[in-house]
Amino acid sequence: MEIMKEYWPFLVPLILAEFVLMVTALVHVLRHPNYKFGSRALWIPVVLFVQILGPIVYFVFGRGDDA
Amino acid sequence: MNVLEIADLHMSFGNNKVLRGLNMEIPENSVFGFVGRNGAGKTTTMKIVLGLLKAQCGFVKVCGEEVRYGATRTNRHIGYLPDVPEFYGYMKPMEYLRLCGEITGLSSALIKDRSRELLELVGLDGVNRKISGFSRGMKQRLGIAQALLNEPRLLICDEPTSALDPIGRRQILDILSAMRGKTTVVFSTHILSDVESICDRIAVLEQGELVLSGTLAEIQKQHRRNSYHIRFASDGEAEEFSQTEELKREGVELEREGCSLTISVSDVSVGAQELIDLLSRKSMAPERFEVLEPTLESLFTEVVQ
Amino acid sequence: MSHFLVFVKKELVEYARTYKLLILLVVFIIFGIMNPLVAKLTPELLTSFMPEGMFVTIPEPTALDSWAQFFKNTQQMGLIVLLLVFSGVLGTELTKGTLINLLTKGLSRQAVVLAKYTAMVLVWTLSVVVSAMLTWIYTVYLFPDGPMGYLFVAIFCMWLFGVFLLALLLASATMVRGNYGGLLLTGLALVILMVVNIFPEAHTYNPLSLGAKNMSLVSGTVDPSSLYAAMVVSTLAICGLLFLSVLVFQKKEL
Repeated sequence: MEIMKEYWPFLVPLILAEFVLMVTALVHVLRHPNYKFGSRALWIPVVLFVQILGPIVYFVFGRGDDA
Repeated sequence: MNVLEIADLHMSFGNNKVLRGLNMEIPENSVFGFVGRNGAGKTTTMKIVLGLLKAQCGFVKVCGEEVRYGATRTNRHIGYLPDVPEFYGYMKPMEYLRLCGEITGLSSALIKDRSRELLELVGLDGVNRKISGFSRGMKQRLGIAQALLNEPRLLICDEPTSALDPIGRRQILDILSAMRGKTTVVFSTHILSDVESICDRIAVLEQGELVLSGTLAEIQKQHRRNSYHIRFASDGEAEEFSQTEELKREGVELEREGCSLTISVSDVSVGAQELIDLLSRKSMAPERFEVLEPTLESLFTEVVQ
Repeated sequence: MSHFLVFVKKELVEYARTYKLLILLVVFIIFGIMNPLVAKLTPELLTSFMPEGMFVTIPEPTALDSWAQFFKNTQQMGLIVLLLVFSGVLGTELTKGTLINLLTKGLSRQAVVLAKYTAMVLVWTLSVVVSAMLTWIYTVYLFPDGPMGYLFVAIFCMWLFGVFLLALLLASATMVRGNYGGLLLTGLALVILMVVNIFPEAHTYNPLSLGAKNMSLVSGTVDPSSLYAAMVVSTLAICGLLFLSVLVFQKKEL
């Protein structure tokens, strides 16, 4: 908490950025049933719990064709 | 005037000779069916016409201008619908047509008007969602819309119906049929009923050569082979009739199967009347007497054999 | 509008809608904020992990440490993410066949190649600018240090190296089929550059030098003039690679 008090100008935007990435990826996983590989059961936890890297890996490797 | 002229076109991939001296002319404002088995060279021909492939020899003229490989000048006369058109899935139909229009160099206002018109023509008006969610039939229809955007004099469709369900197929055929008189439509297919229902001219490609071409009526007349199907009460009667002296001559083929007899006659002098006379002379009363019309299908199987 | 501009627009829309832009921006924003923070916190973390009774004097972090983080992160993870995101820039269109339709409409192949390159460079530029701005703002906030030596030259060099990598990626993509073949060829080219770098004489000209000396530039121990040769070589290489890409792509049967 000490850190939070001192460094909130850093942590707030950081957490926000991560959150945006996570939510976008999660929404995408939920709305598209087809993936290049893997399944919904794989991607939901990856996107939710692997911070930053999870959503990136999903968008670069897992996302099925098209928007 | 001919919209498309192809002369002595040769093309091979490695040792596989796909086209061996193809000659073809397509007059303006016809709906032209380009028929052939899979692998007969239809798609190759179309790609050469579009300048996407280089032919070993021969020339292609579109609206009197020679097509050169790699150059796309002649393509301004052409609208092309690939067999499985691929679009950018993240775009909406209007956006895709705008992109195409901008590449063709149409003005912004014109693109807007034409896009609306065409989407209505192909029944996609009011479909305002991403192309990634489209069915095959919808993609095919959008494909026609984009092909017609620049008001081409020649619309080339590569197997536009083969990947579709019957309803989607009907829709595409109706749209193509509606283009009659406005532009020249060339479409390749291996589905003969499609050709019969909307084409006024056909060409049959087999092993890289045209084996048949002309208007549908002409071809049917030329290849007229009267066929009759007679069914007798018993095998014996059928056998007896097939031994008739008058039928043992050049140009008459008999084929007996059980109590049925199929008589094919290339010589038009043997008509239905003569057969009936023969039957009555032998005082035979067949159970069934049928005149078989030559179908495109029978013609096709005959010429490609 | 020329084909080039039409296609640049199409590419940018594509990046935005296929999440490429989002990924890069978020990654570079996160780096931008993290760089100063990590620099600031590293000594504290180190001391807290030290076994009790052990004393190490860790110098007080400065703005230099923050920029060291910036260059390290951008050049490692940043460039990797950039290349990964753009790995399918040409391959995807070729395997799917989305380009054929537009090419038959007269779209020039040269415009396709150059527009794709321009759009990628634009996105990379934006990423670098955003990340550098954030790092700068937070660095000033945390470390009230004096002016930085050749910071802008250092950032420019790093940017130029990224631009070079993108040219390499594009050229590779025109030569190899598939999505990841281009990436592999790019990796191979980089390995070759590294091998060349074994010879000290090559350092002056090797594009890799653009990314190797940023901290010396920032601290002022190296003069920008020592990198001019590498900059010129890189620029020439970029032009050469683009020329090659156009040439190869124009001959390609689709």
